[in-house]
Amino acid sequence: MDARADLLQGTLDLLILKTLALGALHGWGIAKRIGQLSSDVLRVGQGSLYPALYRLEDRGWIDAEWGISPEGRKAKFYRLTAEGRRQLGAETETWRVFSLAVNHVLRAT
Amino acid sequence: MRWLSKLRRRVRLIVDRKGVEREMRDEMRFHLEMEAEELTRFGAAESEALRLARRRFGGVARFEDEARDARGGRWLEQLRQDTRYAMRVLGRGRGFAAVAMLTLALGVGANTAIFSVVRGVLLRALPYPEPERLVAVQSVIRGSPTAVSPPDFLDWRAQAKSFAGIAAYFLSTTNLTGTGEPERLTQARVSANFFDVLGIRPARGRGFLAGEDAQTAPRVAVLSDGLWRRRFGADPSVVGRTIRLDDFPTTVIGIAPPELKLPVGVDLWLTTRFDARDVDPRARGARWIEVVGRLSSTATLAGARAEVSAIAERLALVDPRHDGGVTSRVATLQEDLVGGVRTPLLILLGAVGFVMLIACVNVASLSLGRTAARETELTVRVALGAGRGRIARQILTESLVLAAGGGIAGLALAVLGTRALVALAPGELPLVHAVHVDGAVLSFSLAVTLLSGIVFGVVPALQGSRQGIEARLRAGSRGVSLGSGRLRRMLVVTEVALAMTLLAGAGLLVRSLTRLAAVDPGFRPDHLATFSVTLSPVRYPDAARQEQFAHELETRLERLPAVTAAGISFGLPLANGGFGFTFTIGGRPEVSGPDEPRAQVRIATPDFFRAMGIPLVRGRGFTARDDETAPRVILISEAAARRYWPNEDPIGQTLQTGWGRDETHRFGGTIIGVVGDVRQFSLAMAPLPEIYGPLAQRPLDEMSVVIHSTTTTSTVLAAARAIVRELDAELPVYDVRSYDEIVRESIAERRFYVTLLAMFAGLALVLAAIGIYGVIAYSVQQRRRELGIRIALGATRERVIGLVMRQGMTLTIAGAAIGLGVAGLLTRVLRGQLYEVSATDPLTFLLVPAILLVVAAVACIVPLRRAIAVDPATTIRAES
Repeated sequence: MDARADLLQGTLDLLILKTLALGALHGWGIAKRIGQLSSDVLRVGQGSLYPALYRLEDRGWIDAEWGISPEGRKAKFYRLTAEGRRQLGAETETWRVFSLAVNHVLRAT
Repeated sequence: MRWLSKLRRRVRLIVDRKGVEREMRDEMRFHLEMEAEELTRFGAAESEALRLARRRFGGVARFEDEARDARGGRWLEQLRQDTRYAMRVLGRGRGFAAVAMLTLALGVGANTAIFSVVRGVLLRALPYPEPERLVAVQSVIRGSPTAVSPPDFLDWRAQAKSFAGIAAYFLSTTNLTGTGEPERLTQARVSANFFDVLGIRPARGRGFLAGEDAQTAPRVAVLSDGLWRRRFGADPSVVGRTIRLDDFPTTVIGIAPPELKLPVGVDLWLTTRFDARDVDPRARGARWIEVVGRLSSTATLAGARAEVSAIAERLALVDPRHDGGVTSRVATLQEDLVGGVRTPLLILLGAVGFVMLIACVNVASLSLGRTAARETELTVRVALGAGRGRIARQILTESLVLAAGGGIAGLALAVLGTRALVALAPGELPLVHAVHVDGAVLSFSLAVTLLSGIVFGVVPALQGSRQGIEARLRAGSRGVSLGSGRLRRMLVVTEVALAMTLLAGAGLLVRSLTRLAAVDPGFRPDHLATFSVTLSPVRYPDAARQEQFAHELETRLERLPAVTAAGISFGLPLANGGFGFTFTIGGRPEVSGPDEPRAQVRIATPDFFRAMGIPLVRGRGFTARDDETAPRVILISEAAARRYWPNEDPIGQTLQTGWGRDETHRFGGTIIGVVGDVRQFSLAMAPLPEIYGPLAQRPLDEMSVVIHSTTTTSTVLAAARAIVRELDAELPVYDVRSYDEIVRESIAERRFYVTLLAMFAGLALVLAAIGIYGVIAYSVQQRRRELGIRIALGATRERVIGLVMRQGMTLTIAGAAIGLGVAGLLTRVLRGQLYEVSATDPLTFLLVPAILLVVAAVACIVPLRRAIAVDPATTIRAES
């Protein structure tokens, strides 16, 4: 895995958590929502969303449950857990500090 | 409960993998369909939409695999896959799996069984509180530990500060009468603090109180758990009851807990009741009691050693005649109890270790052959994208599955084997009751199994995953890497060398045993029946009545039909050794210290020598005229004559024994003859000087009877029992057996170890043979076409056989040569266990390789003959 993917992965995790903070969604819905916000991130393929979802579920930050989509179809919905919410807070803060620092460096030139 | 849901997901992954997979596929399909629908809404052609959706999604298979990794527990899943695959592969090659598992089962079984004995006997702590503080204290004369004299014991007890307590005990026998059949019991006479020193409380009743070991105290006894159950039906009201022991009323005060088994084989404990003569300072030379101590909480073993040794040095100055040159030994009780069996057990453990190694090498070699045969399959798997690690893991998993199968079968063998060992072990094996398969033993076999799986699995795993795909594809379907062949040959050489080493060791011990069994004990044990009786001190209080009983018994026995001679003695050679006494020789200055004349003393009737077949070498034997009223007479053995009268005729000289434990044991007189030597303690031990006195002049309450007859010993013994009952219905007859049995039993322990070792060596030989067979069979299989062509072109079958045989025998000879070298070094360990066989005995070192070569030749010929028997036309035409 190269450095770009690493960076991407961390960002993708944050985006998923942020998206789910607004309410439960199925995979395609998350992809659409993130896509609306930033299509760049998912340029590598919408499929890369799923390994990330499974990893987050394994860490216990999100929960999954089968339900019926608004279109009336069976779909797997993801929901933020309490721990996931804490994680989102922590990662948002990290991201904020990180982006501030980066912006600072960029402005300095 | 994060970990709980995680666990739930992991478990689901194992039990419902299909469901998890299906959900993943459903989820991704849903995504694609939603995307496709959206694309259609935005105007894409329906036929194009799904294709486009897929492109946006990226490779489905790739993300599926990434998702599998991401959801965790991947290794578990792969392990499951590998295990299932391994089972299938092993199931396909049943012959291989069966041979491999059997090999491992034998290895694991033998190791676990022997380890369970080693653990029970050598490693398990004694069942007493703080067992590491319990020590045995002994006197040492000329380097060999012996029993202790009561005066020395009392001095140690009074002076040594290292001990929280120090107790004395000795074994003897007693007649239980008055309750049913009279019975001879084994009693331990112990000082009053014995139970306290061991830290044992009686299970019922009480132990001995201070002062109860005095000669004047009332007689009290503590029964062993075994005796209480066997003889008294575990009746708790026995405590407080009075039983008759040697016709003395004795009060039962307690029942010992079942774990108390000191000394070994004891039925009940009584107190020492030392009398004035026992503790007389002049009796320092009479060493007949055992001493056990408990170190105080501040003392160390080294400290206790130094202290007791200092006391022994002082005593040597106080009484140079008896204690001069006598040193001391303090060892942990555990070491003292098991010291004698440590070396044989460790040798056995080493031997089964060798067997296990051979088994591993064997299975490794077999697996290697299979890996080579599966080249095609492995190539396909590599082509399909399996990584090197994955292939290696797959092969290793197969090995572990094999090991697990072998381990389970081995454990079953071990449970049976351990029971058999305990049942067959000669009674001398101490603590044998503690031997059973328990958690530690199970962990041991688990470790052995896993280790073996890894040991024999790593080589094929590395081999199987070594080559890249190009090499495999280049080699084609018949591709057999030469490397694997060389490795297998090395493994076979290794296992032949290991088997050779083990066979050589076993060979030496077997030769020792046969030499020992052929040793002339100095008497004729065949057609000789023996039994013992001990007269009650109440009903036979004096020498006259004891002598009268002996005379009557012997006369009646000799009158029996088919009896050629019957004799009575005190103690029997090889059965219960005898007593060593110091003595002085008339007209010579007294010698003190370790050089003081010393001999075994035996009391015997005139016909004892005739019944035993002990020859009279010079002078005359005892006669009926050598009775109470006649001058005291003595017979000595040739060893005594050689040692103490090397340059003169002993006949006519006089001797007098030192201070005995009992007046009746003291004797002296004029030497009237010299008789042949007998081996008193063991066939392996050279005869010690021995002196005999006539029973008529020194009657004893304890008598061993020997009857020589022309009929079977059981007939004679039945008649003898009837005679004893007529003479005294209350007299128990014990130690009833044939003398052949006594001689056999005297080497039973050695025979037990040697038989086991020989079995393991035989097992090693069989395993090595299987290894050779496997390599040759495989090689013949691979060379079928070549051999067929050779025969078709006119090579005789003999020539072809010779060709392949040479390959097998080269391996064997190489292995045997290495094994011989290793054996030459290792058999030194056995030196102490050998009897009149050198550690590099030429016969063994010639015979064993010869056997190995013959077995190897057979292992080569069998697969070869089968291959050659097929019509060459068939083999040449056959593909692959």
